[in-house]
Amino acid sequence: MHRDPPYETALKPFGRALVEVARGRPDIVCLGADLTRQTETDLFRETIPARFFNAGMAEANAIGIAGGLARAGHTVFFATFGVFATRRCLDQIAMAVAYPALNVKVVGFMPGLSSPGGPSHQAIEDVALMRALPNMTVIDVADATETLQAVPAIADHPGPVYLRLKRGEIPIIFDDDHDFSLARAQVLVAPGDAVLIASGMMVAAALAAARTLRRHGAEVGVLNVPVLKPLDTATILEACAAAGTVITAENHSVIGGLGSAVAEALAGSGASPRLVRLGIQDRFAEPGSRAYLFSRYGLSVRRIVEEAWRALGRTDPPPVSDELDAADGTYAPV
Amino acid sequence: MPDSTTAQLRELATRIRLDALDMVSIQGFGYLGQALSAAEQFAVLFGDVLRHGRDRFVLSPGHYAVAFYAAAAEVGLLDRGALAAYGTDGALLEAISTERTPGLDLTCGSLGQGLSGAIGLALGDRLAGEDRRTYAFLSDGELEEGQVWEAAMFAAHHALGGLTVLLDANGSQVDGPITTVTTIEPVADKWRAFSWHVQEVDGHDIDALRDACAAAAAEPRPSMIIARTDIRGRLQSVPSTADGHFLKLDADLERALRIELQEIAEALGAS
Repeated sequence: MHRDPPYETALKPFGRALVEVARGRPDIVCLGADLTRQTETDLFRETIPARFFNAGMAEANAIGIAGGLARAGHTVFFATFGVFATRRCLDQIAMAVAYPALNVKVVGFMPGLSSPGGPSHQAIEDVALMRALPNMTVIDVADATETLQAVPAIADHPGPVYLRLKRGEIPIIFDDDHDFSLARAQVLVAPGDAVLIASGMMVAAALAAARTLRRHGAEVGVLNVPVLKPLDTATILEACAAAGTVITAENHSVIGGLGSAVAEALAGSGASPRLVRLGIQDRFAEPGSRAYLFSRYGLSVRRIVEEAWRALGRTDPPPVSDELDAADGTYAPV
Repeated sequence: MPDSTTAQLRELATRIRLDALDMVSIQGFGYLGQALSAAEQFAVLFGDVLRHGRDRFVLSPGHYAVAFYAAAAEVGLLDRGALAAYGTDGALLEAISTERTPGLDLTCGSLGQGLSGAIGLALGDRLAGEDRRTYAFLSDGELEEGQVWEAAMFAAHHALGGLTVLLDANGSQVDGPITTVTTIEPVADKWRAFSWHVQEVDGHDIDALRDACAAAAAEPRPSMIIARTDIRGRLQSVPSTADGHFLKLDADLERALRIELQEIAEALGAS
């Protein structure tokens, strides 16, 4: 079950989960690139120092080493910011990890516009880059509960994985009975006239938008798609068939990410519901706070509500979404 | 062949060149200069230094695969029959080695990546407490890739004494002599400055290569052996104007090379 916002938050769910799984798995090695505390792997470094290696600011080399370690029988987690983990060393990931299908888990923090650091730090096309690589599993989790479940799941999954993680205070959207699966998307709210398909940080926004819309008579469902590749096409098509109007929401470029994946699935099946792809509209952003950037670049609850309202053919003014002022230590979507 | 004599390894080097000539002749063009350049290094590695089934071998520039195939076939690691299909569609032995290539711990076609992978292997073996050494073969043109120097720093920082690099320094890259593209010298000083154990030898001198490998194995630091070589293998038949990186092998050149190499083989056999 999912909770209601504002959400409680957790600190370092990835770092805790990695230490937990690595304690019982001597094959797990952790690589870093001078962002140890920021990627929660300070916990690993402190707990299992013999299996932690800091490659410094040298991501291409780190990926190559990860591949070599995996060939020697280790399971490697390499964590840094998403921009540096993917676009900086794309050829290395392709040749040293994806092509040989090695047991390397690339973990990219600060997805999309969650970084205040501007285009140099905003991973807006990491999912597109990683989806395009054969053998790569691509995951964008929504909350701390999914993170805690995803880490042991990818540790057990043979082969390369890209895991996209929010940095800092991580909302707890799902209760412990949540069942993260590498194979299945999850219907969080049953589709009605429309379905919102979301991943990662946009899941909280989609849930909030759906709540507002339903309160105003629009039967809108929510589908959570944490695994962008391999895509759970069956669940997506089923939800879309039930709805007729489909809105994808991703904290990523609309080119190559969730929206593209859903469009490909729909086109391939012959289904042609009305499709709106929300996300970063093929542009680089700028430095700024999450509230400012998510509002400005179309990643807000309000924007989802407006687009859904319009897509459903409603001509009256869209409802105003709930104000979700989050107190310190809690999280609410923008 | 741990007890190989210098003469036997010289013969092996010549057979590697002849095998490579046979393979490249199939299509009449290809990566023959790589084998002419590196034949002694492959002879020493595969005929003497590598403990097969234990030590790791990383072929960073996959364009040298022809030299590896020849050496591996000569020492019995590869079925000689496979050489006859080298570089043809669907063949096991591809012109640029890939993940399908048998007998290699790691190979790359995208240059500059092999040393990082070799470090991963060496680090992994050290973590697992395994008695293996990792030998990485690199070419000098690759040193233009920044990743090589990221790797150089990491290996020195972690004192990976189990890692030895043989660098085929033939001074040649696709666009011509390296000195006309982007100077990489002084290569030895650069690796010394990166805290590696560095030796610089005549890459066509079997004894010098063997001694260098032995010295490298005794070193607590990662070791760089700079093998100064000629991409024409010091053979008279290859014109100095030929593109050693991707040699066009017409019938005249093929015949001349074969005669010259056979004469060398006979002279070695007679000595």
